[in-house]
Amino acid sequence: MNNRNYNIYFSTHTISGIICCALLYVIFFAGSFSFFKDEISAWQSNVSYEKNNQQAFPYRTLLDSLDKQYDLSGRDIFLYFSPNSPNTYVSITPSQDTIQNKKANERAYFNYNAVTKQEKTYKESYDLGEFLYRLHFLAQLNQVPLHIGYPFGYLVAGLVAFLFLFALITGLLLHWDKLVSNFFVFRPWSKLKTIWTDIHTALGVIGFPFQFIFAFTGVILIVNTVFLTPFSKLLYQGNMDKIYEDLEYTTTIDSPFQNKPLHAVPDIQAGIQQAQQQWPDAFLKRVTLKNYGDASMRLAIEVEAPTHQRFAGTGKIIYDLSTGKVIQQQSPYTSPTYISAIKSFIYHLHFGDYGGYFVKIINFIMGIVGCVVIVSGILIWLVARDKKNVPVHKRKFNTWLAHIFVAICLSMFPVTALTFIVVKVTGGSGQSFIYPVYFYSWLAFTVYYILRRSLDRTNRETLLIGAILSLAVPIVNGIYGNTWLWQSYTNGAIDIFFIDLFWLLLSVITFIAYLKIVKRRRHAVEKQVLPVQKHDEVSTFV
Amino acid sequence: MPANKKYLTTSILQRWLKITAGFFGGYGVMISFFLMLSYFFEKKNVMITGVAIGYILWAVLLLFAFLARSGWKIWLIYLILITLFALPHLLNA
Repeated sequence: MNNRNYNIYFSTHTISGIICCALLYVIFFAGSFSFFKDEISAWQSNVSYEKNNQQAFPYRTLLDSLDKQYDLSGRDIFLYFSPNSPNTYVSITPSQDTIQNKKANERAYFNYNAVTKQEKTYKESYDLGEFLYRLHFLAQLNQVPLHIGYPFGYLVAGLVAFLFLFALITGLLLHWDKLVSNFFVFRPWSKLKTIWTDIHTALGVIGFPFQFIFAFTGVILIVNTVFLTPFSKLLYQGNMDKIYEDLEYTTTIDSPFQNKPLHAVPDIQAGIQQAQQQWPDAFLKRVTLKNYGDASMRLAIEVEAPTHQRFAGTGKIIYDLSTGKVIQQQSPYTSPTYISAIKSFIYHLHFGDYGGYFVKIINFIMGIVGCVVIVSGILIWLVARDKKNVPVHKRKFNTWLAHIFVAICLSMFPVTALTFIVVKVTGGSGQSFIYPVYFYSWLAFTVYYILRRSLDRTNRETLLIGAILSLAVPIVNGIYGNTWLWQSYTNGAIDIFFIDLFWLLLSVITFIAYLKIVKRRRHAVEKQVLPVQKHDEVSTFV
Repeated sequence: MPANKKYLTTSILQRWLKITAGFFGGYGVMISFFLMLSYFFEKKNVMITGVAIGYILWAVLLLFAFLARSGWKIWLIYLILITLFALPHLLNA
């Protein structure tokens, strides 16, 4: 490789990396936990999905109670189901029957728990699973009042994902020539800088395919509008809805409101049962009722082929409820369209939902490997610039920046464990509870470690505190949730059991890492291999 | 060992030209490329392909701009490419 190209890859890799590193760490860390979003929700609410998933969804009861509450005539009702969770989102549009229906202008959007039969608003039903899932695409930043035509947090997350994609490409090119030889280089007992470099290179190269998949699918999932907007303007006369319909994101049911009430509202449960009998293993994704109680009433059922059988496959069935006839039908087991194949591919790769716990655990580990690559990258950046020929003011700035970034990143582990404990002990939930607990404790940890100005201390202490708090998570669930590990296991509440076991293992692993660090540090100080400096002492991460 | 400055762009103007060419020019090239394809293939299939690989293409175009010797030249190249790719649309409109 010529020297010029090599140095350009080097420089662009460094700059794109240092710009997005802290946010990227947040995305990776929260994203790794998000693989277990539904299990975390089950753990927090102590309502296991796996124990209750045999129960049929109570359509009749739900629709009857909604009809009493809202008067459903002339409305469209959407039920969005999610796999591995009893939580269903229900959306009710205003009624087209503005004369008979007194509440025609009202609309509703809420969360319905099929096991507890409770209705909650979105903010009330907001739990830790949802919080970490949303944090991994920076949704909380959407509340920043900047009007740029797109939610601020999503835009930042999209930009970070794009820079990450760029850093991955330049990073791979940078190591291309020595890809094989460097892969086997690991010199943990030589100079500090080579430790960071070796970690960064080895883990970066091992994790490359994984990280690339997540950068590439992530940027698509968060900002596909950046690509689609010009096309909507140029080819669709600005009609974005038509694009989403063409790309099979939405199903439109063509059935204008007739304003002729049906004598009796037909049995919806029967139609759904019929679809489920037809495709027994398919996952019911969405149920739409159009023009409720009108002669034009339609029932649309959208299903997905089970991911352990096939990666892509969407099916749907639409009934005309005035006659009970099927108008449109498409099996999820026929070969999917090109569009649906690509979309399913992107979605399942990113969510890791195609191989049960095994795939999720592998993805979690690779996500944490990504976190290590990011932190070691920050440290390389710092150590490479910590030289006598670099002006003092620049070195000061660099050290501060590294302290701030590392404090933000490494605090996330104890803060996440702490929030798990707090929600269990207090029983508090909802957005207004989780936000302050998580963000203020994160702020406190971060400020403290920035002021301590020691990367070594930040690393050691966050590991130790994280390990202790992780250990406390399953214990707290036993005491305050009345669900000890063995109880949830014997009860068949595998999702709740999994989260407790998961924290227990995390605790053991981080304890071992902590002990290793302490031991090596003592060893190094004795031998004076590692002179302890007052302000910018650095030590191993993990 | 930060990158050797000898090989990097030192002029601020040049650096900005390259960054803007890569980010905005690269985006334009990427979009116009798929726009052109949409005149030869099924429109919605081209769009979903673009959704899938467009960002990678854009990132590579961003890198090309940094590899270019001159910021003016890469802007010129990208503008020519955009015009070329947009031709089917401009002729049809």
